Amino acid sequence: MRLYYLLSILLIISFQGCSTNQITISSKKTLQVETKKESEEDTENFDDEFTQEQDTVKDDPLSGYNRFMTSFNDTLFIYLADPISKGYATVFPEVLRLGISNFIHNIEFPIRFTNTLLQGKLQYSADELERFIANSTLGIGGIFNPASTIMHIPAHNEDFGQTLGYYGVGAGYHVVLPFIGPSNIRDIIGLVGDGYLSPLMYDKALKELRIPQNYLQSAGIYGFKMVNKNALHLGAYESLKKDAIDLYPFLRDIYEQKRTSEIEE
Amino acid sequence: MFKKLLLLLAIIVVGAHAIEEQNIQSVMAQKTKQMTKILKDKSLSMREKEKRCIKIVDPVFSYKTMAKIALGKEWKKLSKAEKETFTKRFEKKMKHSYIDKLKLYKNQKVVVEAPKKVKKNRIKLTTKIIGNNETYKIVNSFFKKKHTNQWYIYDVNLAGVSVMQTYRKQFAAFLKTKSFQALLDSLKI
Repeated sequence: MRLYYLLSILLIISFQGCSTNQITISSKKTLQVETKKESEEDTENFDDEFTQEQDTVKDDPLSGYNRFMTSFNDTLFIYLADPISKGYATVFPEVLRLGISNFIHNIEFPIRFTNTLLQGKLQYSADELERFIANSTLGIGGIFNPASTIMHIPAHNEDFGQTLGYYGVGAGYHVVLPFIGPSNIRDIIGLVGDGYLSPLMYDKALKELRIPQNYLQSAGIYGFKMVNKNALHLGAYESLKKDAIDLYPFLRDIYEQKRTSEIEE
Repeated sequence: MFKKLLLLLAIIVVGAHAIEEQNIQSVMAQKTKQMTKILKDKSLSMREKEKRCIKIVDPVFSYKTMAKIALGKEWKKLSKAEKETFTKRFEKKMKHSYIDKLKLYKNQKVVVEAPKKVKKNRIKLTTKIIGNNETYKIVNSFFKKKHTNQWYIYDVNLAGVSVMQTYRKQFAAFLKTKSFQALLDSLKI
């Protein structure tokens, strides 16, 4: 081992040239030893790539309510939303479902455009604007998606929750919302913010710019949007659920991981 | 002729074992191509498709490493026999889950991007599943086995969610209140 040190010092000196002083060499020597150690022993150590904090009550004070709401949503999904989606999928062919999905996506353009602007991601804003123009015209009011299929302009699903995260706002407590599912304080504020921008959300002051003319219609549109979306992804939730040992923390972790990575992008 | 034979041999060797660094993208692209072909084949039953797909990806995964990561600190507390039992059960669970995800494939276009070397012994390989109106990103994380140039997958990131991180958190929470034996039982399929 000593021979190795000596050799590595010699090697460093020869690379450093004659003018190097003693201090640099010694610091280089430890560095050398450290990298050697890492390459041999830590190559199969993964602990710094994954966290293992135990969740405490402090991190998740709403866990009691969240658990209840998770099973409420789960039951609702399995016994109501899923059968409806399956029935819906047999009546509406996939082409039609895709068209509806495209149309809804296109009409929610103000949310994505505003949030890319708010984050200063101007290229994304330009992409979104181009997509909106292309899909609204060539895509016949957004029913088709030539921006993706022909022009290959990437879509950027930015929302206000991500914008807040981008400026350093933390997630806050995890909250499971009825019907909507996992969320957190930051993303709930985000949802409210995006509601002001969405043409699908009823707003008394902006009635002319909105499709629904009351809250009930708004709820109906969102319900329909969910069913249509689920009908395009039948079986996905059930498949995901199988990986869970305990459904609530599983869905919570997945949601928070996903949001963090969306904000980072 | 000899050259061709050698090449064939090399391909077989690569196919059967882990991947070398310079081949990661090509081998994974090849495997993806084989799998999408199998999944699109209407003459095969779902069960047959699953069997064949697993056979293709199996050698690239290091299940032992994954089991170790999933258990985190708890791993060291286990006896050798316990480690083995856990690894076996976990491997089965992972495969089962993987197969289940394959069912969701619906003829989307699959693109394997260039690998990114994030550390000396870590590589991330992004695969994009391009659907009609959505694009999903799958990132496979590879590590280099000690003293070799053999690379194995130790984590899969699906649309921003790390599979290993999710298991790790779940197992940690589970073992806080329940026994290791109970965890083994819960992994039974």
